[in-house]
Formats: sequence, structure tokens, C-alpha cells
Amino acid sequence: MNKIFAVALKDLTRSFRSAFALIFMFAIPLLVPLLFLVMFGNLADEEQGFELPVTQVVVVNLDEGGAGFEQAMTNLPGGMETDSLGALVVRVLQSPDFGDLIAVRLETEPATARSLVDNQEAGVAIIIPADFSAQYAAFDGQAVLEFYQDPTLTIGPGVVKSILNQFMDGLSGARIAVTVSLARLEANDPAVIGQVIEAYMAAQQQDGPSAARLDVRTPVQDGPARSPVLVIVGMVMGAMLLFYAYYTGVATGQGILQEDEQLTLPRLFTTPTPPASILIGKFLGVLLTVTVQVIVLLIAARLIFRVDWGSPEAIAMTIVCVILNASAFGIFLNSLLKSTRQGGVLFGGVLTVTTWIGLLPIFVGFAGGSNPMIDSISLSMPQGWIGRMLLDSIANASLGQIALSGAVSLAWTALFFTIGIWRFGRRYV
Amino acid sequence: MKAIEVTNLHKAFGETRAVIGVNFTVEQGEIFSLLGPNGAGKTTTISMLSCLLRPDDGDALILGHSLRKDPMGVKSVLGVVPQEIALYDDLSASENLTFWGKMYGLRGAALKARVNEVLEIIGLTDRARDRIKKYSGGMKRRVNIGVALLHKPKIIYMDEPTVGIDPQSRRSILDSVLALKSEGTTVLYTTHYMEEAQELSDHIAIMDHGKLIAAGTHNELVRIVGEADRITLSLNAESARLIEAWKRTRGVQQVDAEDGNLTLLVDDSNQVLPRLFEAAAASDVRITSVDIQEPDLEVVFLHLTGRALRD
Repeated sequence: MNKIFAVALKDLTRSFRSAFALIFMFAIPLLVPLLFLVMFGNLADEEQGFELPVTQVVVVNLDEGGAGFEQAMTNLPGGMETDSLGALVVRVLQSPDFGDLIAVRLETEPATARSLVDNQEAGVAIIIPADFSAQYAAFDGQAVLEFYQDPTLTIGPGVVKSILNQFMDGLSGARIAVTVSLARLEANDPAVIGQVIEAYMAAQQQDGPSAARLDVRTPVQDGPARSPVLVIVGMVMGAMLLFYAYYTGVATGQGILQEDEQLTLPRLFTTPTPPASILIGKFLGVLLTVTVQVIVLLIAARLIFRVDWGSPEAIAMTIVCVILNASAFGIFLNSLLKSTRQGGVLFGGVLTVTTWIGLLPIFVGFAGGSNPMIDSISLSMPQGWIGRMLLDSIANASLGQIALSGAVSLAWTALFFTIGIWRFGRRYV
Repeated sequence: MKAIEVTNLHKAFGETRAVIGVNFTVEQGEIFSLLGPNGAGKTTTISMLSCLLRPDDGDALILGHSLRKDPMGVKSVLGVVPQEIALYDDLSASENLTFWGKMYGLRGAALKARVNEVLEIIGLTDRARDRIKKYSGGMKRRVNIGVALLHKPKIIYMDEPTVGIDPQSRRSILDSVLALKSEGTTVLYTTHYMEEAQELSDHIAIMDHGKLIAAGTHNELVRIVGEADRITLSLNAESARLIEAWKRTRGVQQVDAEDGNLTLLVDDSNQVLPRLFEAAAASDVRITSVDIQEPDLEVVFLHLTGRALRD
């Protein structure tokens, strides 16, 4: 076992000492998405000092106010005169302090406000319901407003949401303060303190720190919004990761033939090491090299491009399948060769063609569409199943949803390993 | 126990018979050379004795381990220095030796200590961390040999280790072979350089066209052609009368005429040569060139095969 690991670690060390290999394993796969981001994402501008565009906010204030609310407001420290909490929200949003960030437009119909967002004439619509103040003033009430945003925007709506959250947090604290003050007027004993604590805890337990709650709805998806540029960069990164993982599998798999030609393999066979152990060590070396490459690219893509790879379980399963399949594919293809002189055909022909066919759905995905025929063609290649797993994972698929693709890719892997090991074994063992 | 006992080894590659019924024995602690021109079958023989090639027929016992029945046992007592450099260019000498040491079963502190010892032996301690690709050809050869020394094998095969290197490195390698012998290591050495075989070997086997055509000590082999010196002469004109005169000259054993050259086997060239010049002058023929060869392996090979060793 020690000798197997010695062979594998030696191969791993040699792989990462080659500048050529490092460029193909890491530099190019990261460079291509970076170019996309610079071209389409204004990354350079962001780095030189980014200025936020003014976000158009449409507000529909339907709040009817209420006596309880007015009483509560006047009892605030310093007092405050306003007929409804909705009006207060509008006043805060129209504050000159936020003039550089948001432009507020008032509408009367919720449907109009939402359609303005749908048509991308506004970034956010805030719809304040009729009972907003009444719910706020009631001890056990829950003031809810609707926050409707354009899913293609991230920063602008985030700013508006932050302003609202801050405001609502302040109001919640104020409500607790008022409740405590009123209670003290009636009974100044330890029991009252307990009630105050109880009231505060009750307020805390109402879905977080704020008694007022934001209901964020987006026209397309329920999850957190993603920038379309980042989604495309994620797909490009995924395609690069897959292509170059297969490249590495084939390139490091060729190490067996290279060692044969450079006469180190025959010399290894003169040592008291079973030939099967030497070959297993070589296979393990391929596997380790691809593993390191894929994990580094995965983490680098996350840190540099903020690529969201999906759920940890799904991406873990996908990565395991990528590593195994790319390694097995490399060993299989090289087992068909007589010498490294045939490597040009391997890289230029088989590897490139099969991988690009397998990854066709990703490129179609760039254009924002899908084509069932292309999907079917891609699935005739093992890379197609792996590509599908990755795409599904990026689209937040669950482990169960990628299980079929995983099973098929593992079947391909088993086939490649079996043929590759059999052919190399027949030649050398 | 003999170090190596080779019995009737045969190996063919398709129609080409590379090794044909080779037999020889190597005593423990001696240097045994396989001498022969390129293509004689030396490397194929070494490859079979290293368990790299399976013999078509025959067997060999390496310190009692059979090639056919116990190849792992054979490998465990062997160190092999291949003809070509078989190292990892992108690893340093130290890393190469450490890796190969592991493949010979060394581990931990023992491995580290042995790597340092071998670096000392091959004189590369100060360059241990340099990658092999930065080494000269001679330095690479030294590391190539160092690998075979790591596990202190009782037998070392060296397959033409001095091919293509500078005289200084060659001298260093020959000295290291002699040092191995002095430590009791058995060395099976193949070469097509007659001088190396002559200098190093206790016993020499001459191979040609896959067959072992002669074997013995240097003196035993030279005795095959007798103690005669060989003189090769060129004349400015053919003269049958002169050849007859030389055949009668005292000290001349044999005169052969071939391709315009005359080859004479004589008892002692120093004494005979003046008489040859006198006879030539008497016949009015001028000697245009003279080449004297004292008995050596080259002469033996020429005698046995009719060809020069370097052909």
C-alpha cells in the first residue's frame, strides 16, 4: 500500500511542477470566466470605484391609520405626530438623506406598482396594506408590508430593504418601550417587570427582531435573486471546470505511456514491487491530480466569481462523479494508444469532440434557452451526464434530482476503469 | 552458492532470435562482463535476468532465486542500472533517490539516512536539491547508478553505464564499479568497450549474434589467439616475392593478404619488424604503413568472428 501511495504522490508532485500543466489545469479555466465577467459584468469599474445607480421605488400607501396607533406615537419619547405608520414609511423613504440612492414615486393601485416592476420601469414596489398601522398598534398584531422587486437587480433593492429594516427595527423597539411605560403607570412591582420582559420576548419571537415584517416577492423565483451575469459566469466556469478536468484526466493518464517511453516504468518493474501495485499507484495519481484541480477550481470560482454551485450535497455528489469519470476516461483513452505520439489525435480529436458535445447544453444555456434534441445528443457522451449534473446543481437541484445522472455517469466510470485497467494490465502485468 | 547461474537462456522477438542458448556462471563478489557489439544480445540477456523479459526457454538462478519461479525474490537481491537514464527529470536527485528507495522497500529514517549516504557516494550532496533536468549527462549517470545502490543489493547489473559520457565521468563510474567489488558486491557489467571489460573484469563472456562465443578470464581469452602480436602492413606495390620472403623470416608465424593489406602474426613485433623492413628493401618494395596490435580482447573478437568489435 505504501508503494502505491509513493507512486501516486510522485505523480501528483510531478503534475504540479509542470508550468504547462498548471496553466491548463488552473489558469485557463479561470481566465475564460474572468474575461466574461470583465466584458459583461463591469468588474473593472467596480474595482476602480463603483457608483450605485438610483433605484426607482414605487410606493402604494393604503394604510388607514387608527386611534391606537396615534396614541402610541404620541407616547414615544419626544412624541411624533402622524396619522398612519404607512405615511411614516413614505416620509422616511422620501428623506433627502436617501436622495442619492432611491427615487420614490407614489401610486394608488398595487397592480400598477407591480407591473412597473415587471416592466423594469421600477426596481422595487412597496405596498403598504390598509391595516398596517392597526396591526402595529395592537399588542399581538403583526404589521406586514409587501416588498416586490426586480429579480435581475441585487444591490438597489438590497439598499431599499436595508433602509426599511432599519426603520422597522426602530419602530419595534419603540413599541416595546411604550408598552413598558404604560405598564409601569399601573403597577410598580416586580411582577410588572416580569410582564415587560415577557412582552419583549413575545415581540422578539415574532419572526425575528422586528414586529413589522417584510414580505419579499419576486416575479420569477422564490429563492434569493441572482445576477444573470453571475449565472452565466457560473455556467462558463462549470464548462471550463469540466473540460479541463477531462483534459487533466487524459494528460495525467498519459503519464503511464510517458514513463514507459522514458524507461522509468521498466525500471520500476525491476524493483521488488508487484507490477499491479505500480499501475494502481499510477491510476491513483491521476485521480488525486484531478481531485486537487477540481476542488481548487471550485473554491476559486466561489471566491473570485461568487459562483453559487447549489446545495452542498448536490455539488459534492457532482464533483465526486466528475473526478471519477474524468480520471477513468483518461485511463481508458490512453489504454487504447500504443505511444504518446498518438496523443495529438487523442487531445485534438476524441477529448475535444466528446467533451464539447457533452457540454452543448451549457452553451445553449448561455443563450438563455434549452433544446431537447441537443440535450439528447449530449447525453450520448459521458460528459453529457456530468454536465447535466452540474447544471442541475447550479440550478439548486436536490440530491435526489441529480441521482439518475450520477448513476449513469458512475456506470460510464465503471466501464472506462474496467477497460482501461484490463488493457494496461494485459500490457504490463 | 553462485551469484548467478544462467542455463540455456533463449529469447526471440518474432523471427529475430535475440538470445540463443546462453549459459554462464558468476561467482559472488566478482565483476563479470558481457562484451559484444551493439545488437549482440547483451541487453536482452540483462533484461531477462532483471525479470523484465520472460525467457522463451531456460532459466537462471540469482542467489538461488529462480527467474521463472521467484521473480520477486530475484528483484529483491538486485540493483539494476539501465543503459538509458531512467530518472524523473522534474524531481531533484534527493527526491528521485527517496522515491526509488521507497520502491525498494526502505522507509522513514533509514531511507533518509541511506539517501544521504548514496548522495555522498555519487558525489552529489551539494547538488541534491537541484532538479535532474539541470544536471550534466555525467551527473545524471551517477544518479542513475545511485538508485541501484539504495537497498545495498548483493548483485548489481550495469548495462553499458558509460555510453555517451565525458572521460572524467566515465573514470568516476569505473572507479565506483571497482569500489562495489571491493565491498563484496557482485557486478554483472555489459559493455562494447573492450578496454572497460579488460580493466574491470574478473571474468568476461563475449557475445555475438545472440550467442555466447567465448568466456573466461582475460588471459584465458587471449590464449585463444596465442601469444602472437598482430602486424598489419600496407605496401606501395604488390609483391609475391616479398610475401614469400616474409613467410621464411624468423619469428613470423602467419602471413595473410586481404584487401591490399598484409596481416602477419609474429612472436615479438619489436624483434621481427626490422627484419620485415630489410626484406622489403631487398625486394625494392616500400612499406607505407604499419599497425601493431598486442594480444587483447579486440584481437580475440576479430579472431573469433572475423569482424572488429566496434563494427
